[in-house]
Amino acid sequence: MMTARWLKVLTALCLSVLLFVTACSKAPSSPYSQIQDETTGRGAPKAVAKAAEQGSSFNRFFPDSKSYNVIPSQEKKGFAEYKVNKDGKTVAMLSINDTTSLPTAALKYKSSTSTVAGYPSVEQGTTTTGILVGDRYQVKVISRDPSFTQEERVAWLQRFDLNGLASLSPNTAKATLPEVVPSQQPQSSPLRRLLPQPAM
Amino acid sequence: MSKPIFEIVDSLPKGGPTVMALRSLDFAVPGQWDNLVGFDNTIKTVTGETDPALVQQIGERAVALYNDKSQGYQRALWLYETVDSASGMLGTAAMMNRIGQDTFLGFLKHVTPKPEKAQSLDLCVKLVTELVAFCQINGIPGDSVGDFVASLGDYSGESLMRMAALTCFDGLIPLGAGFTDKALSVIQGTSPSDIEGNQTFKGVRDLIPGKDAKQKHDFITESFGATKGWMDGFVASKGLTQANVLDHLSRFVEFSSDKLDYLGALLDVTVKYYRHTGVQTLARRLTERAYAEI
Repeated sequence: MMTARWLKVLTALCLSVLLFVTACSKAPSSPYSQIQDETTGRGAPKAVAKAAEQGSSFNRFFPDSKSYNVIPSQEKKGFAEYKVNKDGKTVAMLSINDTTSLPTAALKYKSSTSTVAGYPSVEQGTTTTGILVGDRYQVKVISRDPSFTQEERVAWLQRFDLNGLASLSPNTAKATLPEVVPSQQPQSSPLRRLLPQPAM
Repeated sequence: MSKPIFEIVDSLPKGGPTVMALRSLDFAVPGQWDNLVGFDNTIKTVTGETDPALVQQIGERAVALYNDKSQGYQRALWLYETVDSASGMLGTAAMMNRIGQDTFLGFLKHVTPKPEKAQSLDLCVKLVTELVAFCQINGIPGDSVGDFVASLGDYSGESLMRMAALTCFDGLIPLGAGFTDKALSVIQGTSPSDIEGNQTFKGVRDLIPGKDAKQKHDFITESFGATKGWMDGFVASKGLTQANVLDHLSRFVEFSSDKLDYLGALLDVTVKYYRHTGVQTLARRLTERAYAEI
């Protein structure tokens, strides 16, 4: 009787130790484990700063083209991106981002020895050329096809309205989009609610 | 805590029913989809960069962006996951209905929806889910139908494959030719309270624009009406028919053509193409943004 009781206690004890040990064992580590820990949980820093410019403020500074299709791709707080398509294929990406959210992105221009249109420029990896405008806004052209060369990236960077971007007063540019109200008339065409399209 | 994005992308399957079903659609969108899996692999393939330090830097920014809930990426994944699992429940209901018509369990057809009506609503809700998820990922306001339609023209890769699968697996196979007209007339003839009973709608209703069932129903009807033209054009330009889609699909699953509603239900239950290609789209967009921002 006594033995059976002790066995029960022992089993419970063993189970507890087992649970304790397995709970403490580390999950397989990944090169991204550290950033995962740093950006999750209570009080984790946001990836996008509150003070970052609205992405819609950047749309008017992107270049247009007659021989390429320039199509809006992403627009988030502090960021806007366009695709450059030729013959239905994406050959490059154009982007503007507010480095307020990621100051290290601006830091790399401090040691820059080259310029494009008077702004410090850097080459990143094998596909990217970037410049920093007004010490704050990063403009990049990223090749998506080998035919889109570094010279073309530099040429496209110069087609942005860089002076306009440099004079963008932080957080004062207002979105020009009208407020969208839910339709009360299901039969009417949704086209009347179209938002203005960014430059194509 | 939700699963880290790098683990989600790393654990995408390289084979299985979803991948095989999607591969069967290669004839419709040749070369558009190559089942890109793995977080680092996605970064390298999307950017064309191979320097490990640069790949790590891009990956770290992508992880941070995904973890910032205000950026909408987690909501988009939730939508893709939910619409697939809710649609799987619809598949089960459709199977029950079919069984009800064939056997003594005739009473079941009174408690489960008619396959055609349920499939039509499913198609409409899934399309609207794509619209909402697109806006969560790309940041265009949630009820801007026009931007979505313009962007559909530029869909490529896994996004185009997802639309091809929606067209074929949720349109052509269960509903046949003229499926967009059928679906539109069903949604127009459905009351807001009816749609509240649809499993797929129930899954994603909270993120569909509109403050009540009527407004959400209106939004679905308008969105489907606006994107119907794209689907019709897609079917016509690719020469898609129920027969040729089934022919390609039959290379991985055996079925007889008089049991098509079983097949639709089977696809609903076993093929999770929304989540699979949705994660791939998410990983691609995060990579693009991360590389542009660092």
